[in-house]
Amino acid sequence: MTITIEDLRVLTLPLELSALLFLVLIADIATSSVRGKTFTGWLTFWGLCVVFGLTFVSPVAGEAFGGRFRADTWTLFMTRWFIVAGAVVTLGGIDRIRRMASRRQGEYNLLLLFSLLGMVLLIGALDLILLLLCFELSSIPLFVMAAIEKRKGQEFKLMLTAEGAIKFFLVGVVSTPIALLGLALIMGMVGDSSIAALDGATTSPLLKVGLLLLLSGMGFKLGVVPFHMWVPDTYQSAPAPFVAFLSTAPKVTALVALARILVSGLQNRSELWTPAVTTLCVGTLVMGNFWALGQRSTKRLLAYSGIGHIGYFMMALLVGDNTGMAMFLFYVVAYLLTNIGTFLVVEAVCGRSEDESIDVFAGLSRRSPWLAMSMLLFLLSLAGIPFVVGFWAKLYVFIAAWRAGYSWLVVTGALLAIVALYYYLQIARVMYMNEPKVKDPIAVKPSLAAGVLICLLGIVGYGAYPRPLLESARAAADAFMQTRSATVSVSLR
Amino acid sequence: MNQAWISTLVFLVVSAVLAASVMIAARILGVASKRRTKLTLTTYECGEEPEGPAWLKFHPRYYVVALVFVLFDVEAVFLFTWALILPDLGMLAIVDMFLFIGILLLGWVFALSKGALRWQ
Amino acid sequence: MTPLSYHVQEYVLLAALLFSIGGLGFLIRRNVLIQLMCVEIMLNATNLLLVAFNRLYPSSMTGQVFAFFVIAVAAAEAAVGLAIILGFYRLRNSVHSDDADILRH
Repeated sequence: MTITIEDLRVLTLPLELSALLFLVLIADIATSSVRGKTFTGWLTFWGLCVVFGLTFVSPVAGEAFGGRFRADTWTLFMTRWFIVAGAVVTLGGIDRIRRMASRRQGEYNLLLLFSLLGMVLLIGALDLILLLLCFELSSIPLFVMAAIEKRKGQEFKLMLTAEGAIKFFLVGVVSTPIALLGLALIMGMVGDSSIAALDGATTSPLLKVGLLLLLSGMGFKLGVVPFHMWVPDTYQSAPAPFVAFLSTAPKVTALVALARILVSGLQNRSELWTPAVTTLCVGTLVMGNFWALGQRSTKRLLAYSGIGHIGYFMMALLVGDNTGMAMFLFYVVAYLLTNIGTFLVVEAVCGRSEDESIDVFAGLSRRSPWLAMSMLLFLLSLAGIPFVVGFWAKLYVFIAAWRAGYSWLVVTGALLAIVALYYYLQIARVMYMNEPKVKDPIAVKPSLAAGVLICLLGIVGYGAYPRPLLESARAAADAFMQTRSATVSVSLR
Repeated sequence: MNQAWISTLVFLVVSAVLAASVMIAARILGVASKRRTKLTLTTYECGEEPEGPAWLKFHPRYYVVALVFVLFDVEAVFLFTWALILPDLGMLAIVDMFLFIGILLLGWVFALSKGALRWQ
Repeated sequence: MTPLSYHVQEYVLLAALLFSIGGLGFLIRRNVLIQLMCVEIMLNATNLLLVAFNRLYPSSMTGQVFAFFVIAVAAAEAAVGLAIILGFYRLRNSVHSDDADILRH
């Protein structure tokens, strides 16, 4: 098998991203003597904007490397949203990284781009080897990013960062061989590494063990409930703009990898994986939301709420057909925009004081009404209140799950959404009811404010008019479910 | 299959007997074991006297160099397999490998510019 | 012919044994460096499994190729891990995971 120009044409989007990566790398080497520069951050941001624009210019469709990689409507949809997530996180993090890791800004942005490249490659991967390699490429940079801050004179905070990073690393690194053992067993039973061959697997105990191991390995990375221990600690100790990234794009990547193997690869053998996924889904929904109740730290609360959201994602995966995947994708977009926005507001409010308990939000409506308003909207979107995008996301997932016969799961999910509403509104109550300790308005850097604004526009816009997003999600999901495609097409939407 | 296991078993038994007999012979014939002086307990019975404890702290620079080494060392895994089947692959494989090494080289330049290899 | 012929069974058992040793070591040992080594043992066990399974399908080289990539992934993880552990050691003067106990709710 040799690589042809046609193969490279299919890889246009990842190649554009790699070109940006090399550009940032060379720019960082060239300016390595300049201290405290935010240059690489801006280059990354504008570069990502350009790559995003290029996705509209030349959408490519086709298969590369003998069907191991495919570019179609699905990859286009996901690539765009990953790039948006990367760009917004870069924009929101520029100031924080300049302050806290001034000599490592180049590294931070490069690692973010490496991670993004892994994600963008993963969504088109139709091969278990490629899937695992891309997944590792997207997750290894995160370990470093969690530990990148270096603060002078704040030894205790630094210790927290190192501790969160080491926990994240240990869990992440032990989940790799577990997932890999699962993949090895699956490959051994199937005899091939392509996703399309999964359907023909012989049903043997080893295959089931393999799937279970794969699920637990991915469960660690996802932070679903029996494997969630690292999530609150890492979120609490890591810089908020990085957590905005960590809590969204890598989770979606892991879910996409699972969906690729389970929903699309084993779509006719769903009896193999639905029991395990259902268990994880219920456990995650219940425990994630209940643990969030007692939290006094905003980041920990949002960490547990994020764990709860993974449960809703898994509910959408359980549906296991085109509609389910479309609703999954809608939820992905809603979650990306909302969660990134929430953590960027947390950075704006708590970033300087380094105190991130809920009390810091006291009287925010009087200090910075705009910030309080955007936080309220993000929280409503997380809770699923009309008419922000999170509402539609939850509603669509519920409808799809109900039609697929998971009515009891929908009831559980809806009840837990009420529990979630309670703790989200707790933050809102503190923001609007409590007296502020300090009266001064919060100074927000324009870059951070722009990041928040993009997310805000997204959730309000799609909340008011979800149809275009829904339609493109449907088109992407239809493309995703084709494992053996003769004709690959791409729609420009 | 049994044949292979029997030969392994024989090998294990022979090696155990050999090791045991050497140790027993040393105990019976050896002189040093009967006269434990201070000299027999030193690290080297002749030559240089060892200085300081063996558990000394390494300079942190070693770790950075070791990290960089580990990363570039793995490249050999791919180079080795590539070299084995190079005649069948032809010109394109050479270009591919140079591309691969070129990317790694960029990483090396990055490490160099960040001062990871500077020994101060 | 059982699905696991060609003497693959022995290798699967050995890989399982190695993997369990690594996993147990990861859980029992408290020295982060040794935990990292245990992860490497686990990765090597999966490598062994991949190569052994490849014997079932003589026409393809998938398992062998995968094993090479796993080596590369393991090296990247080890390098990143050593850097993080070094950072932790500089702050806490310890490489024991039990000492990572400040973060609580």
